[in-house]
Amino acid sequence: MLTAVKNQIRVCLLSVKYNIMREMLNKVTFLTNIGFMMLNNAAFIIQWIILLHIRKEVGGYAMRDVMLLWGLAASCFGLSHIFFARAFSLPELIINGKLDSWLVQPKNVLFSVITSSTDTSAIGDFLYGILLICIFCFSFGRLLLFLFFTVTGAMILTAYAILLGSLSFWFVRADIFGNNMVNSMISFATYPDGIFKGTARLLLYYVIPVGIEIYLPVQIMRSFDVIGLLFVTGYAVLLFAAATAFFYRGLKRYTSSNLMAARM
Amino acid sequence: MKAIEVEGLSKTFRVKQKERGMGGSIRAIFHPRTEEIRAVDSVSFHVEEGEILAFIGPNGAGKSTTIKMLTGILCPDSGSARVLGIDPSKKRKQLAYEIGTVFGQKEQLWTHLTPNDNFRFFGAIYDMSDAETDRRIGELADIFDLGAFINTPVRSLSLGQRIRCEFAASLIHSPKVLFLDEPTIGLDPVVKENVRSLIKTMNRQLHTTVFLTSHDIGDIEKLCRRIIIVNNGRIVMDDSMEHVKYHYLNQKTVEVRLHGEMSLPPMQGITILKEKEGHIRFEVDTAVMKISDALRSLNLENMEDINISNIPLENIITAIYQTEGKEAAS
Amino acid sequence: MKKYATIYRAVLMETLQYAANVLMGFISFFIIIFVFICLWNYMYDEPASLIAGYTKEQMIWYVIITETLWFGARPAVMARQAASDIRSGNIAYQVNKPYYYPLYILSRFTGEWSIQLPMYAAFAALAGGILVGSLPGFHPVTFLAALPCVVLGITINGVFKLNISLISFWIEDSTPFQWLYDKLILVVGTLFPIEIFPKALQPFFKLTPIYTVCYGPAKLLVDFSTEKCLEILLAQLVYLAAGCALMAFVYGKGVRKLHVNGG
Repeated sequence: MLTAVKNQIRVCLLSVKYNIMREMLNKVTFLTNIGFMMLNNAAFIIQWIILLHIRKEVGGYAMRDVMLLWGLAASCFGLSHIFFARAFSLPELIINGKLDSWLVQPKNVLFSVITSSTDTSAIGDFLYGILLICIFCFSFGRLLLFLFFTVTGAMILTAYAILLGSLSFWFVRADIFGNNMVNSMISFATYPDGIFKGTARLLLYYVIPVGIEIYLPVQIMRSFDVIGLLFVTGYAVLLFAAATAFFYRGLKRYTSSNLMAARM
Repeated sequence: MKAIEVEGLSKTFRVKQKERGMGGSIRAIFHPRTEEIRAVDSVSFHVEEGEILAFIGPNGAGKSTTIKMLTGILCPDSGSARVLGIDPSKKRKQLAYEIGTVFGQKEQLWTHLTPNDNFRFFGAIYDMSDAETDRRIGELADIFDLGAFINTPVRSLSLGQRIRCEFAASLIHSPKVLFLDEPTIGLDPVVKENVRSLIKTMNRQLHTTVFLTSHDIGDIEKLCRRIIIVNNGRIVMDDSMEHVKYHYLNQKTVEVRLHGEMSLPPMQGITILKEKEGHIRFEVDTAVMKISDALRSLNLENMEDINISNIPLENIITAIYQTEGKEAAS
Repeated sequence: MKKYATIYRAVLMETLQYAANVLMGFISFFIIIFVFICLWNYMYDEPASLIAGYTKEQMIWYVIITETLWFGARPAVMARQAASDIRSGNIAYQVNKPYYYPLYILSRFTGEWSIQLPMYAAFAALAGGILVGSLPGFHPVTFLAALPCVVLGITINGVFKLNISLISFWIEDSTPFQWLYDKLILVVGTLFPIEIFPKALQPFFKLTPIYTVCYGPAKLLVDFSTEKCLEILLAQLVYLAAGCALMAFVYGKGVRKLHVNGG
């Protein structure tokens, strides 16, 4: 069992390494992609300077807190798109029957699939998040917590994408819906939860898990809370497990490319 | 021992049907109607260890669906399949260690890496240690003659070299059974010939069982001793190559060149295909007329050249599809 | 007659199918609008106050309008298409066709947004009307008067995005430059009206495409004045002329380079 897990991790890491090597073939493009993505994210600092100029705090967040929020959102997005970029294009693979080559390998299909490509600019997002923390609110403990929550957040974001992407095993049109929901989660992640009230707030914790991906970790980083930490960890693990189970459930309905041939 | 055993295997795809017109579109939302397509319909056969088997049939006959069920990609609806005694739908991973697959035109290699790095990656997939992988790469490099380009990135290799690497990658874990789905599709004749000799080498040297689907009669004629023909999801023939030829080769084509003008009188059992200035081509149905009788009716003294040949296997198989397919359907 | 009914039905069904896809695409759009409504509701703690001269309703409607332009008339697909045509060398075939490539791709873009934008606009009007209330001082006549500015603004945006795609003649990947341009439009002109920035910066913004691409049209729809309308139209014409001249120059250079290198 343990060696199986070890071997699985070895293959996934090798896959990510080769993906990055492929992206690095053209060094200029690789570096401009990363650098410009960081600049791209930094443009939003202007938005917050303006907003915090109008009011001293927004939704209970001062500049430091907003940067913490933004940093975590960028790093979670970055980490998930460095390691699990394919999780965000699952519907395309499912609908077009492109999972075959992973199904004949003696490895976990889901993990092999989602680690099979990398988004270069995501490296810029990841680094940008860490940079923000180091500039605006550095402390060693916070950096450790930040890295930990980046991992749980990336897990939650990826799991959410897998859950919605797996809907494509049942419904053809689910791809547009899924993409929109994942994008919504990313949109919410860069605004303080304090501006949302009532039902919307509940939605952000229960339907779109951005509350546990981003908001709760930011609170914990502002004032440490062990129970919160455990809750976030448990939630991330459970959501990932649920997403994996859901994917495998759908995989039984997988039709490869045969249906497409039948339609012709 | 049997490498593959299949008993009553079936797979049905449900395709959403939409009724015609506007009303149909709306009804489809509430009561989606589906039509069932029986891609594979209660198929049974077995393959001996070390055998090369051709599994052929027209497009949409159920070849790929069967191969996908045998490799664990698709789950069957009913029936059972055992590959090396393992049920593909239940123990997909365990089976994956024992089998290799080459699906034509679906490339599995990373093009920016060298074959060597690629093999190492596939070695890792099959939980092989580095030493084990290296030893295996050495063996495969010898068999497939990869030495000259094993450290050149795959994207700079020629098509033929790349195909050899694809095969080698599929064999890194020494599979006991190899599934080849249209391995020569889209290849030029030289590369095709190359692939065929690779398959033969593997079968002979490594005693690998080969399960092959192909549209290319050349593949089948040159490689296989046994042939299974499927049509409309059912097996219409499961026979040895020799037997197929013997049974369906009661037609011979005779081509004669004669000195001066001469024509063949109409006779039962002879169909004239072409007749032009002393050049005659005709078909003899040996069930009706002996070939020697057919020849006797020609004026052999004037003969310059003669050529008697079997009908190409391709025509035979097409004929089988047509006749047996109709019987199966009715 | 039956023949035409059949054709009508076929087209209608195709459109319905398409409309279903578009409706699902509205989810992201709605959520963005929703976030901004929440944000500005929070920012205006006293409903009667003004921020940078805008009432709360005006501010929210300003953002709804700019976001509608952002989502409904997205030149990203066109820009990507042009960049990939150039990078793959496909453009060599396009050059020989009896049309001018930049205009060809711009007219395709116009075809796309002229279908999409009205749908987004209708949806935005509905969502805004329900969640914020009608825009104060809005009048159909001012809407018609502002329409040319909207069309010009979108076209100028397309021309500038295409100009950035043309960089692909020289470098492998022009997308990072697209990001920067997009962020300029987004952060400065789309999320806020430019009055919100310090006075010293405002003349500078008038010199950037922001003024003609997003701020101008949205400002006119929210707070119309004839004087402003003429000023923006004039600026747009200058920008369009300059943008097209730049495009012709860069494209001409690019194609020449293509011929030298043989694709």
